[in-house]
Amino acid sequence: MSHEHVVIKENVYYTKDHEWVKIENGNVRIGISDYAQKELRDIVYIELPQIGKKVKQFERLCSIESVKAVSDVYSPVSGEIVEVNRQLENSPELLNKDPYGNGWIAIIKAEKIEEEIKNLMDAEKYKEYLKTLEKH
Amino acid sequence: MLKTHLSDLFESRGAKMVEFVGWKMPLWFTSITEEHLAVRNKAGIFDVSHMGRMLIEGKDSTHFLNYVTTNNVEKLRPGRMHYSTICNQNGGIKDDVMLQRITEDKYVLVTNASNREKIYNWLIQNSKGYEVKIEDVTFEVPMLAIQGPYAEKIMQKIVEIDLKKLTFWRLATCKIMGYETIISNSGYTGENGFEITVWRIPRSESENFIKIYMEILKAGEEYGLKECGLGARDTLRLEAGLVLYGNDIDEDTTPLEAKLDYAVKMDKGEFIGREALQRQLNEGLRKVRVGLKMLEKGIPRPHYEIWCENEKIGVVTSGTYSPLLNIGIAMGYVKPKYDEVGREVEIAIRERRVKAKMVEWPFYNEEEYGRRRKNVP
Repeated sequence: MSHEHVVIKENVYYTKDHEWVKIENGNVRIGISDYAQKELRDIVYIELPQIGKKVKQFERLCSIESVKAVSDVYSPVSGEIVEVNRQLENSPELLNKDPYGNGWIAIIKAEKIEEEIKNLMDAEKYKEYLKTLEKH
Repeated sequence: MLKTHLSDLFESRGAKMVEFVGWKMPLWFTSITEEHLAVRNKAGIFDVSHMGRMLIEGKDSTHFLNYVTTNNVEKLRPGRMHYSTICNQNGGIKDDVMLQRITEDKYVLVTNASNREKIYNWLIQNSKGYEVKIEDVTFEVPMLAIQGPYAEKIMQKIVEIDLKKLTFWRLATCKIMGYETIISNSGYTGENGFEITVWRIPRSESENFIKIYMEILKAGEEYGLKECGLGARDTLRLEAGLVLYGNDIDEDTTPLEAKLDYAVKMDKGEFIGREALQRQLNEGLRKVRVGLKMLEKGIPRPHYEIWCENEKIGVVTSGTYSPLLNIGIAMGYVKPKYDEVGREVEIAIRERRVKAKMVEWPFYNEEEYGRRRKNVP
Protein backbone atom coordinates (compact mmCIF):
# COMPACT_ATOMS: atom_id res chain seq x y z
CA MET A 1 0.00 0.00 0.00
CA SER A 2 1.19 3.50 -0.73
CA HIS A 3 1.92 6.21 1.79
CA GLU A 4 -1.57 7.63 1.62
CA HIS A 5 -3.32 8.27 4.87
CA VAL A 6 -5.98 5.67 5.66
CA VAL A 7 -9.03 6.92 7.56
CA ILE A 8 -10.18 4.64 10.39
CA LYS A 9 -13.58 5.63 11.68
CA GLU A 10 -14.24 5.35 15.40
CA ASN A 11 -17.35 3.69 16.90
CA VAL A 12 -17.63 1.06 14.19
CA TYR A 13 -16.36 -2.52 14.09
CA TYR A 14 -14.19 -4.01 11.38
CA THR A 15 -13.58 -7.39 9.76
CA LYS A 16 -10.26 -8.76 8.51
CA ASP A 17 -11.68 -8.38 4.99
CA HIS A 18 -12.07 -4.64 5.58
CA GLU A 19 -15.83 -4.34 5.97
CA TRP A 20 -17.21 -2.08 8.70
CA VAL A 21 -20.37 -2.44 10.85
CA LYS A 22 -22.18 0.31 12.70
CA ILE A 23 -24.82 -0.60 15.23
CA GLU A 24 -27.94 1.58 14.81
CA ASN A 25 -30.97 0.90 17.04
CA GLY A 26 -31.12 -2.85 16.65
CA ASN A 27 -30.03 -2.99 13.02
CA VAL A 28 -26.52 -2.71 11.64
CA ARG A 29 -25.30 -0.65 8.74
CA ILE A 30 -22.37 -2.06 6.79
CA GLY A 31 -19.87 -0.92 4.22
CA ILE A 32 -16.23 -1.22 3.20
CA SER A 33 -13.38 0.57 4.93
CA ASP A 34 -11.24 3.38 3.58
CA TYR A 35 -8.35 0.91 3.31
CA ALA A 36 -10.52 -1.38 1.15
CA GLN A 37 -11.59 1.39 -1.23
CA LYS A 38 -7.99 2.59 -1.58
CA GLU A 39 -6.86 -0.94 -2.40
CA LEU A 40 -9.66 -1.44 -4.96
CA ARG A 41 -9.26 2.10 -6.30
CA ASP A 42 -11.40 2.65 -9.41
CA ILE A 43 -14.70 1.09 -8.29
CA VAL A 44 -17.04 0.98 -11.27
CA TYR A 45 -19.85 -1.37 -10.33
CA ILE A 46 -21.51 -3.08 -7.39
CA GLU A 47 -23.84 -6.05 -7.51
CA LEU A 48 -26.03 -5.25 -4.50
CA PRO A 49 -27.38 -8.01 -2.25
CA GLN A 50 -31.10 -8.80 -2.37
CA ILE A 51 -33.43 -7.45 0.28
CA GLY A 52 -34.83 -10.29 2.36
CA LYS A 53 -31.81 -12.49 1.81
CA LYS A 54 -30.41 -14.14 4.94
CA VAL A 55 -26.67 -14.26 5.41
CA LYS A 56 -24.35 -15.81 7.94
CA GLN A 57 -21.38 -13.98 9.44
CA PHE A 58 -18.42 -13.87 6.98
CA GLU A 59 -20.51 -15.32 4.16
CA ARG A 60 -20.34 -13.67 0.74
CA LEU A 61 -22.75 -10.76 0.66
CA CYS A 62 -22.17 -9.16 -2.72
CA SER A 63 -19.39 -8.22 -5.10
CA ILE A 64 -17.65 -5.02 -6.10
CA GLU A 65 -16.00 -4.52 -9.47
CA SER A 66 -13.03 -2.24 -9.85
CA VAL A 67 -11.37 -1.65 -13.21
CA LYS A 68 -8.78 -4.23 -12.29
CA ALA A 69 -10.75 -7.02 -10.66
CA VAL A 70 -13.86 -8.28 -8.97
CA SER A 71 -13.83 -8.54 -5.16
CA ASP A 72 -16.29 -10.18 -2.82
CA VAL A 73 -17.79 -8.36 0.13
CA TYR A 74 -18.47 -10.58 3.15
CA SER A 75 -21.19 -9.96 5.67
CA PRO A 76 -19.70 -8.88 9.01
CA VAL A 77 -22.75 -10.25 10.88
CA SER A 78 -25.52 -12.83 10.51
CA GLY A 79 -29.02 -11.65 9.75
CA GLU A 80 -31.51 -10.54 7.15
CA ILE A 81 -30.89 -7.77 4.65
CA VAL A 82 -33.54 -5.13 5.17
CA GLU A 83 -32.23 -2.27 3.06
CA VAL A 84 -29.62 -1.68 0.36
CA ASN A 85 -28.06 1.54 -0.88
CA ARG A 86 -29.66 1.89 -4.32
CA GLN A 87 -27.67 5.07 -4.92
CA LEU A 88 -24.61 2.90 -5.52
CA GLU A 89 -26.17 1.40 -8.65
CA ASN A 90 -25.69 4.62 -10.55
CA SER A 91 -22.95 6.15 -8.42
CA PRO A 92 -20.55 3.33 -7.46
CA GLU A 93 -17.86 5.98 -7.01
CA LEU A 94 -19.49 6.81 -3.65
CA LEU A 95 -17.72 3.70 -2.35
CA ASN A 96 -14.44 5.48 -3.14
CA LYS A 97 -15.45 8.98 -2.17
CA ASP A 98 -17.33 8.37 1.06
CA PRO A 99 -16.89 4.77 2.24
CA TYR A 100 -18.17 5.40 5.80
CA GLY A 101 -21.00 7.74 4.78
CA ASN A 102 -22.93 7.81 1.50
CA GLY A 103 -21.01 4.77 0.32
CA TRP A 104 -22.71 2.41 2.80
CA ILE A 105 -23.85 -0.87 1.24
CA ALA A 106 -26.67 -2.41 3.24
CA ILE A 107 -28.60 -2.52 6.49
CA ILE A 108 -28.94 -5.90 8.16
CA LYS A 109 -31.32 -6.99 10.88
CA ALA A 110 -28.70 -8.70 12.99
CA GLU A 111 -29.50 -11.99 14.69
CA LYS A 112 -26.83 -12.39 17.32
CA ILE A 113 -24.74 -9.26 17.28
CA GLU A 114 -23.64 -9.51 20.95
CA GLU A 115 -22.07 -12.87 20.27
CA GLU A 116 -20.65 -12.09 16.82
CA ILE A 117 -19.12 -8.78 17.77
CA LYS A 118 -16.38 -10.77 19.50
CA ASN A 119 -15.20 -11.83 16.04
CA LEU A 120 -14.80 -8.21 14.93
CA MET A 121 -12.20 -5.53 15.65
CA ASP A 122 -12.73 -2.09 17.12
CA ALA A 123 -10.98 0.92 15.58
CA GLU A 124 -7.90 0.50 17.77
CA LYS A 125 -7.47 -3.20 16.92
CA TYR A 126 -8.15 -2.58 13.23
CA LYS A 127 -5.42 0.06 13.20
CA GLU A 128 -2.98 -2.50 14.63
CA TYR A 129 -4.19 -5.05 12.09
CA LEU A 130 -3.53 -2.66 9.17
CA LYS A 131 0.02 -2.17 10.44
CA THR A 132 0.67 -5.91 10.13
CA LEU A 133 -0.48 -5.73 6.48
CA GLU A 134 1.83 -2.82 5.66
CA LYS A 135 4.86 -4.95 6.42
CA HIS A 136 4.51 -7.08 3.29
CA MET B 1 11.99 -10.28 -6.88
CA LEU B 2 13.50 -8.61 -9.94
CA LYS B 3 13.61 -4.83 -9.99
CA THR B 4 13.84 -2.47 -12.92
CA HIS B 5 16.04 0.62 -12.77
CA LEU B 6 12.96 2.53 -11.63
CA SER B 7 11.23 0.12 -9.18
CA ASP B 8 12.72 1.75 -6.06
CA LEU B 9 11.97 5.23 -7.36
CA PHE B 10 8.33 4.30 -8.01
CA GLU B 11 7.94 2.78 -4.58
CA SER B 12 9.39 5.88 -2.90
CA ARG B 13 6.97 8.02 -4.90
CA GLY B 14 4.03 6.10 -3.45
CA ALA B 15 3.02 3.96 -6.43
CA LYS B 16 0.99 0.84 -5.69
CA MET B 17 3.59 -1.86 -6.36
CA VAL B 18 2.81 -5.45 -7.29
CA GLU B 19 4.71 -8.52 -8.38
CA PHE B 20 4.25 -9.22 -12.07
CA VAL B 21 5.90 -12.40 -13.40
CA GLY B 22 8.73 -12.00 -10.91
CA TRP B 23 9.20 -8.23 -11.35
CA LYS B 24 8.37 -5.50 -8.87
CA MET B 25 6.23 -3.15 -10.96
CA PRO B 26 3.79 -0.28 -10.39
CA LEU B 27 0.12 -1.26 -10.81
CA TRP B 28 -0.89 2.38 -10.66
CA PHE B 29 0.43 5.75 -9.48
CA THR B 30 -2.89 7.51 -8.79
CA SER B 31 -5.61 5.41 -10.42
CA ILE B 32 -5.99 3.18 -13.47
CA THR B 33 -8.80 5.35 -14.84
CA GLU B 34 -6.83 8.60 -14.54
CA GLU B 35 -3.74 7.08 -16.14
CA HIS B 36 -5.77 5.44 -18.88
CA LEU B 37 -7.52 8.67 -19.81
CA ALA B 38 -4.24 10.62 -19.70
CA VAL B 39 -2.90 8.35 -22.47
CA ARG B 40 -6.07 8.68 -24.58
CA ASN B 41 -6.29 12.47 -24.16
CA LYS B 42 -2.73 13.66 -23.45
CA ALA B 43 0.24 11.40 -22.76
CA GLY B 44 1.53 8.74 -20.40
CA ILE B 45 4.93 7.25 -19.64
CA PHE B 46 5.47 3.56 -18.80
CA ASP B 47 8.50 1.69 -17.52
CA VAL B 48 8.51 -1.43 -19.70
CA SER B 49 11.96 -2.66 -18.67
CA HIS B 50 10.44 -5.93 -17.47
CA MET B 51 9.99 -7.08 -21.06
CA GLY B 52 12.70 -9.31 -22.47
CA ARG B 53 15.23 -7.82 -24.88
CA MET B 54 17.53 -9.98 -26.98
CA LEU B 55 20.29 -8.66 -29.18
CA ILE B 56 20.67 -10.94 -32.21
CA GLU B 57 23.66 -10.40 -34.47
CA GLY B 58 25.63 -12.27 -37.08
CA LYS B 59 25.81 -13.14 -40.75
CA ASP B 60 22.92 -15.65 -40.53
CA SER B 61 20.70 -13.59 -38.24
CA THR B 62 18.10 -12.87 -40.94
CA HIS B 63 17.85 -16.52 -42.00
CA PHE B 64 17.77 -17.66 -38.42
CA LEU B 65 15.02 -15.22 -37.40
CA ASN B 66 13.04 -16.10 -40.51
CA TYR B 67 13.14 -19.72 -39.38
CA VAL B 68 12.11 -19.17 -35.74
CA THR B 69 9.46 -16.46 -36.27
CA THR B 70 6.31 -16.44 -38.41
CA ASN B 71 6.57 -13.02 -40.10
CA ASN B 72 8.83 -12.42 -43.12
CA VAL B 73 12.15 -11.08 -41.82
CA GLU B 74 13.64 -10.84 -45.32
CA LYS B 75 11.05 -8.18 -46.10
CA LEU B 76 11.86 -6.22 -42.96
CA ARG B 77 14.24 -3.40 -43.87
CA PRO B 78 16.86 -1.91 -41.53
CA GLY B 79 15.26 0.92 -39.55
CA ARG B 80 11.93 -0.88 -39.39
CA MET B 81 10.21 -3.21 -36.99
CA HIS B 82 7.35 -5.65 -37.17
CA TYR B 83 5.06 -7.71 -34.99
CA SER B 84 5.60 -11.44 -35.13
CA THR B 85 5.03 -14.68 -33.30
CA ILE B 86 7.29 -17.53 -32.31
CA CYS B 87 5.50 -20.86 -32.67
CA ASN B 88 6.18 -24.39 -31.54
CA GLN B 89 6.06 -27.34 -33.98
CA ASN B 90 2.28 -27.58 -33.48
CA GLY B 91 1.76 -23.97 -34.48
CA GLY B 92 1.01 -22.99 -30.86
CA ILE B 93 2.29 -19.56 -29.86
CA LYS B 94 5.41 -19.65 -27.67
CA ASP B 95 5.48 -15.85 -27.60
CA ASP B 96 4.36 -12.78 -29.50
CA VAL B 97 7.23 -10.40 -30.14
CA MET B 98 8.36 -7.15 -31.72
CA LEU B 99 11.37 -7.52 -33.98
CA GLN B 100 13.49 -4.45 -34.69
CA ARG B 101 15.97 -4.56 -37.55
CA ILE B 102 18.70 -2.13 -36.51
CA THR B 103 21.17 -2.76 -39.35
CA GLU B 104 21.57 -5.42 -42.05
CA ASP B 105 22.49 -8.17 -39.56
CA LYS B 106 21.67 -6.70 -36.16
CA TYR B 107 18.27 -7.17 -34.57
CA VAL B 108 16.56 -6.52 -31.25
CA LEU B 109 13.82 -8.98 -30.31
CA VAL B 110 11.41 -7.79 -27.60
CA THR B 111 9.63 -10.64 -25.80
CA ASN B 112 7.01 -10.80 -23.08
CA ALA B 113 8.45 -10.62 -19.57
CA SER B 114 6.79 -13.95 -18.79
CA ASN B 115 8.54 -15.67 -21.72
CA ARG B 116 12.02 -14.16 -21.59
CA GLU B 117 13.91 -17.24 -20.38
CA LYS B 118 11.80 -19.69 -22.38
CA ILE B 119 12.41 -17.78 -25.59
CA TYR B 120 16.12 -17.29 -24.95
CA ASN B 121 16.51 -21.05 -24.47
CA TRP B 122 14.36 -21.78 -27.53
CA LEU B 123 16.46 -19.45 -29.70
CA ILE B 124 19.71 -21.00 -28.49
CA GLN B 125 18.31 -24.50 -29.01
CA ASN B 126 17.27 -23.73 -32.59
CA SER B 127 20.36 -21.77 -33.60
CA LYS B 128 22.57 -24.78 -34.31
CA GLY B 129 24.12 -24.44 -37.73
CA TYR B 130 23.46 -20.69 -37.92
CA GLU B 131 26.24 -18.15 -37.53
CA VAL B 132 24.41 -16.03 -35.02
CA LYS B 133 25.03 -14.53 -31.60
CA ILE B 134 22.12 -14.20 -29.16
CA GLU B 135 22.49 -12.04 -26.08
CA ASP B 136 19.85 -11.37 -23.43
CA VAL B 137 20.41 -7.68 -22.69
CA THR B 138 17.23 -7.18 -20.62
CA PHE B 139 19.02 -6.20 -17.41
CA GLU B 140 21.30 -3.53 -18.86
CA VAL B 141 19.07 -2.05 -21.56
CA PRO B 142 16.17 -0.37 -19.75
CA MET B 143 13.11 0.56 -21.77
CA LEU B 144 10.42 3.23 -21.63
CA ALA B 145 7.20 3.83 -23.55
CA ILE B 146 5.73 7.30 -24.02
CA GLN B 147 2.23 7.07 -25.45
CA GLY B 148 -0.60 9.40 -26.37
CA PRO B 149 -1.48 12.29 -28.68
CA TYR B 150 1.15 14.56 -27.08
CA ALA B 151 3.91 11.92 -27.05
CA GLU B 152 5.56 13.31 -30.17
CA LYS B 153 5.63 16.91 -28.89
CA ILE B 154 7.16 15.74 -25.61
CA MET B 155 9.83 13.50 -27.14
CA GLN B 156 10.73 16.10 -29.74
CA LYS B 157 12.02 18.21 -26.82
CA ILE B 158 14.34 15.34 -25.87
CA VAL B 159 15.75 14.04 -29.17
CA GLU B 160 17.39 15.80 -32.10
CA ILE B 161 16.06 13.61 -34.89
CA ASP B 162 12.85 14.73 -36.61
CA LEU B 163 10.08 12.59 -35.08
CA LYS B 164 7.64 13.59 -37.84
CA LYS B 165 9.69 11.34 -40.11
CA LEU B 166 9.64 8.49 -37.60
CA THR B 167 6.31 7.05 -38.71
CA PHE B 168 4.63 3.90 -37.39
CA TRP B 169 7.01 0.97 -36.83
CA ARG B 170 10.11 2.89 -37.90
CA LEU B 171 13.08 3.19 -35.61
CA ALA B 172 16.21 5.32 -35.35
CA THR B 173 19.25 5.57 -33.14
CA CYS B 174 19.93 8.80 -31.30
CA LYS B 175 21.63 10.14 -28.19
CA ILE B 176 19.72 10.98 -25.03
CA MET B 177 21.82 12.60 -22.27
CA GLY B 178 24.94 11.04 -23.71
CA TYR B 179 23.54 7.53 -24.02
CA GLU B 180 23.02 5.68 -27.28
CA THR B 181 19.30 4.91 -27.61
CA ILE B 182 17.00 3.22 -30.06
CA ILE B 183 13.73 5.09 -30.44
CA SER B 184 10.83 3.57 -32.33
CA ASN B 185 7.32 4.69 -33.18
CA SER B 186 5.45 1.84 -31.54
CA GLY B 187 3.58 0.83 -28.42
CA TYR B 188 0.87 -1.21 -26.77
CA THR B 189 -1.92 1.31 -26.26
CA GLY B 190 -3.34 1.99 -29.73
CA GLU B 191 -2.11 5.58 -29.49
CA ASN B 192 0.74 7.20 -31.34
CA GLY B 193 3.87 6.98 -29.25
CA PHE B 194 7.44 5.88 -28.83
CA GLU B 195 9.42 3.14 -27.21
CA ILE B 196 13.01 3.80 -26.17
CA THR B 197 15.80 1.43 -25.23
CA VAL B 198 18.94 2.85 -23.62
CA TRP B 199 22.30 1.15 -24.36
CA ARG B 200 23.56 0.33 -21.82
CA ILE B 201 22.99 1.16 -18.15
CA PRO B 202 23.51 -1.62 -15.61
CA ARG B 203 21.19 -1.66 -12.58
CA SER B 204 24.10 -0.52 -10.40
CA GLU B 205 24.02 2.79 -12.28
CA SER B 206 20.24 3.24 -12.07
CA GLU B 207 20.62 6.90 -11.14
CA ASN B 208 21.66 7.67 -14.72
CA PHE B 209 18.48 6.13 -16.06
CA ILE B 210 16.44 7.94 -13.42
CA LYS B 211 17.92 11.20 -14.79
CA ILE B 212 16.65 10.36 -18.27
CA TYR B 213 13.24 9.42 -16.87
CA MET B 214 12.98 12.65 -14.87
CA GLU B 215 14.05 14.67 -17.90
CA ILE B 216 11.19 13.22 -19.95
CA LEU B 217 8.74 13.79 -17.08
CA LYS B 218 9.86 17.42 -16.95
CA ALA B 219 9.50 17.82 -20.72
CA GLY B 220 5.99 16.38 -20.49
CA GLU B 221 4.78 18.54 -17.64
CA GLU B 222 3.32 21.24 -19.90
CA TYR B 223 1.46 18.55 -21.89
CA GLY B 224 -0.06 16.72 -18.92
CA LEU B 225 2.24 13.69 -19.17
CA LYS B 226 1.29 11.17 -16.49
CA GLU B 227 3.22 8.25 -15.02
CA CYS B 228 1.33 5.05 -15.78
CA GLY B 229 1.35 1.57 -14.28
CA LEU B 230 0.56 -1.93 -15.48
CA GLY B 231 -3.15 -1.48 -14.71
CA ALA B 232 -3.61 1.21 -17.35
CA ARG B 233 -1.28 -0.66 -19.69
CA ASP B 234 -3.70 -3.59 -19.57
CA THR B 235 -6.92 -1.59 -20.02
CA LEU B 236 -5.36 0.44 -22.85
CA ARG B 237 -4.15 -2.59 -24.80
CA LEU B 238 -7.51 -4.29 -24.38
CA GLU B 239 -9.41 -1.24 -25.70
CA ALA B 240 -7.04 -1.29 -28.66
CA GLY B 241 -7.77 -5.00 -29.27
CA LEU B 242 -4.19 -6.10 -28.63
CA VAL B 243 -3.56 -9.57 -27.20
CA LEU B 244 -1.82 -10.34 -23.93
CA TYR B 245 0.30 -13.48 -23.76
CA GLY B 246 -0.94 -15.88 -21.10
CA ASN B 247 -4.48 -14.49 -21.33
CA ASP B 248 -5.44 -14.32 -25.00
CA ILE B 249 -2.71 -16.43 -26.56
CA ASP B 250 -0.63 -19.39 -25.38
CA GLU B 251 0.97 -22.58 -26.67
CA ASP B 252 -2.48 -24.12 -27.24
CA THR B 253 -3.54 -21.28 -29.52
CA THR B 254 -2.25 -20.64 -33.03
CA PRO B 255 -1.74 -17.16 -34.52
CA LEU B 256 -4.45 -18.00 -37.06
CA GLU B 257 -6.98 -18.68 -34.30
CA ALA B 258 -5.91 -15.45 -32.59
CA LYS B 259 -6.49 -13.58 -35.88
CA LEU B 260 -2.85 -12.54 -36.02
CA ASP B 261 -2.64 -13.61 -39.68
CA TYR B 262 -0.74 -10.45 -40.61
CA ALA B 263 2.17 -11.76 -38.55
CA VAL B 264 2.20 -15.12 -40.38
CA LYS B 265 3.67 -15.35 -43.89
CA MET B 266 2.98 -18.87 -45.15
CA ASP B 267 4.72 -18.25 -48.49
CA LYS B 268 8.08 -17.13 -47.08
CA GLY B 269 9.60 -20.60 -46.89
CA GLU B 270 10.29 -23.02 -44.08
CA PHE B 271 9.73 -21.90 -40.46
CA ILE B 272 8.94 -23.63 -37.19
CA GLY B 273 5.22 -24.37 -37.00
CA ARG B 274 4.55 -23.86 -40.69
CA GLU B 275 3.34 -27.42 -41.40
CA ALA B 276 0.92 -27.40 -38.50
CA LEU B 277 -0.42 -23.98 -39.51
CA GLN B 278 -0.87 -25.17 -43.11
CA ARG B 279 -2.77 -28.19 -41.83
CA GLN B 280 -5.00 -25.89 -39.82
CA LEU B 281 -5.65 -23.74 -42.89
CA ASN B 282 -6.73 -26.89 -44.76
CA GLU B 283 -8.77 -28.46 -42.01
CA GLY B 284 -10.22 -25.38 -40.29
CA LEU B 285 -9.73 -23.57 -37.01
CA ARG B 286 -10.86 -24.95 -33.65
CA LYS B 287 -11.71 -21.52 -32.23
CA VAL B 288 -11.34 -17.85 -33.15
CA ARG B 289 -10.72 -14.67 -31.21
CA VAL B 290 -13.56 -12.17 -31.00
CA GLY B 291 -14.16 -8.78 -29.41
CA LEU B 292 -17.10 -8.42 -27.01
CA LYS B 293 -18.83 -5.31 -25.77
CA MET B 294 -21.34 -5.51 -22.94
CA LEU B 295 -24.85 -4.29 -23.64
CA GLU B 296 -25.74 -4.30 -19.93
CA LYS B 297 -23.98 -3.55 -16.66
CA GLY B 298 -21.43 -6.14 -15.56
CA ILE B 299 -17.77 -6.66 -16.24
CA PRO B 300 -16.49 -9.67 -18.16
CA ARG B 301 -13.37 -11.33 -16.72
CA PRO B 302 -11.08 -14.15 -17.89
CA HIS B 303 -12.64 -17.67 -17.85
CA TYR B 304 -16.25 -16.44 -17.92
CA GLU B 305 -18.32 -18.51 -20.33
CA ILE B 306 -19.82 -17.13 -23.54
CA TRP B 307 -23.29 -18.43 -24.35
CA CYS B 308 -25.54 -18.19 -27.39
CA GLU B 309 -29.07 -19.60 -27.40
CA ASN B 310 -28.45 -22.00 -24.52
CA GLU B 311 -25.23 -23.33 -25.96
CA LYS B 312 -21.83 -22.62 -24.50
CA ILE B 313 -19.91 -21.28 -27.48
CA GLY B 314 -16.71 -20.01 -25.93
CA VAL B 315 -14.82 -18.36 -23.13
CA VAL B 316 -13.57 -14.89 -22.21
CA THR B 317 -9.76 -14.55 -22.09
CA SER B 318 -9.41 -10.84 -21.17
CA GLY B 319 -12.01 -8.49 -19.84
CA THR B 320 -12.21 -5.17 -18.09
CA TYR B 321 -14.20 -2.04 -17.57
CA SER B 322 -13.36 0.40 -20.35
CA PRO B 323 -12.57 3.76 -18.74
CA LEU B 324 -13.15 5.44 -22.10
CA LEU B 325 -16.44 3.79 -23.10
CA ASN B 326 -17.71 3.31 -19.53
CA ILE B 327 -18.82 -0.25 -20.23
CA GLY B 328 -17.42 -3.75 -19.91
CA ILE B 329 -15.32 -4.97 -22.85
CA ALA B 330 -13.64 -8.29 -23.49
CA MET B 331 -11.82 -10.60 -25.82
CA GLY B 332 -12.48 -14.28 -25.99
CA TYR B 333 -12.61 -17.32 -28.21
CA VAL B 334 -15.72 -18.85 -29.78
CA LYS B 335 -16.37 -21.72 -32.16
CA PRO B 336 -15.71 -20.37 -35.68
CA LYS B 337 -19.32 -20.73 -36.87
CA TYR B 338 -20.43 -18.18 -34.26
CA ASP B 339 -17.88 -15.56 -35.30
CA GLU B 340 -20.01 -12.73 -36.64
CA VAL B 341 -19.77 -9.02 -35.88
CA GLY B 342 -23.03 -7.82 -34.39
CA ARG B 343 -24.09 -11.19 -32.98
CA GLU B 344 -25.71 -10.95 -29.56
CA VAL B 345 -24.41 -13.37 -26.95
CA GLU B 346 -24.55 -13.74 -23.19
CA ILE B 347 -21.68 -13.82 -20.74
CA ALA B 348 -22.07 -15.78 -17.53
CA ILE B 349 -21.04 -13.35 -14.79
CA ARG B 350 -21.36 -15.34 -11.58
CA GLU B 351 -25.11 -16.14 -11.22
CA ARG B 352 -26.20 -13.84 -14.02
CA ARG B 353 -26.32 -14.05 -17.82
CA VAL B 354 -25.42 -10.62 -19.14
CA LYS B 355 -26.00 -9.49 -22.73
CA ALA B 356 -23.03 -8.64 -24.93
CA LYS B 357 -22.38 -8.06 -28.61
CA MET B 358 -19.55 -9.23 -30.83
CA VAL B 359 -17.64 -6.22 -32.13
CA GLU B 360 -14.48 -5.44 -34.04
CA TRP B 361 -11.43 -4.00 -32.35
CA PRO B 362 -10.26 -1.41 -31.50
CA PHE B 363 -13.25 -0.80 -29.23
CA TYR B 364 -12.98 2.99 -29.51
CA ASN B 365 -13.94 5.16 -32.46
CA GLU B 366 -10.77 5.47 -34.55
CA GLU B 367 -11.74 8.90 -35.80
CA GLU B 368 -11.59 10.20 -32.23
CA TYR B 369 -8.94 8.09 -30.51
CA GLY B 370 -5.85 6.08 -31.32
CA ARG B 371 -2.98 6.77 -33.67
CA ARG B 372 -5.26 7.23 -36.68
CA ARG B 373 -7.38 9.90 -34.98
CA LYS B 374 -8.53 12.82 -37.13
CA ASN B 375 -7.74 15.63 -34.73
CA VAL B 376 -4.21 15.47 -33.40
CA PRO B 377 -3.79 18.16 -30.73
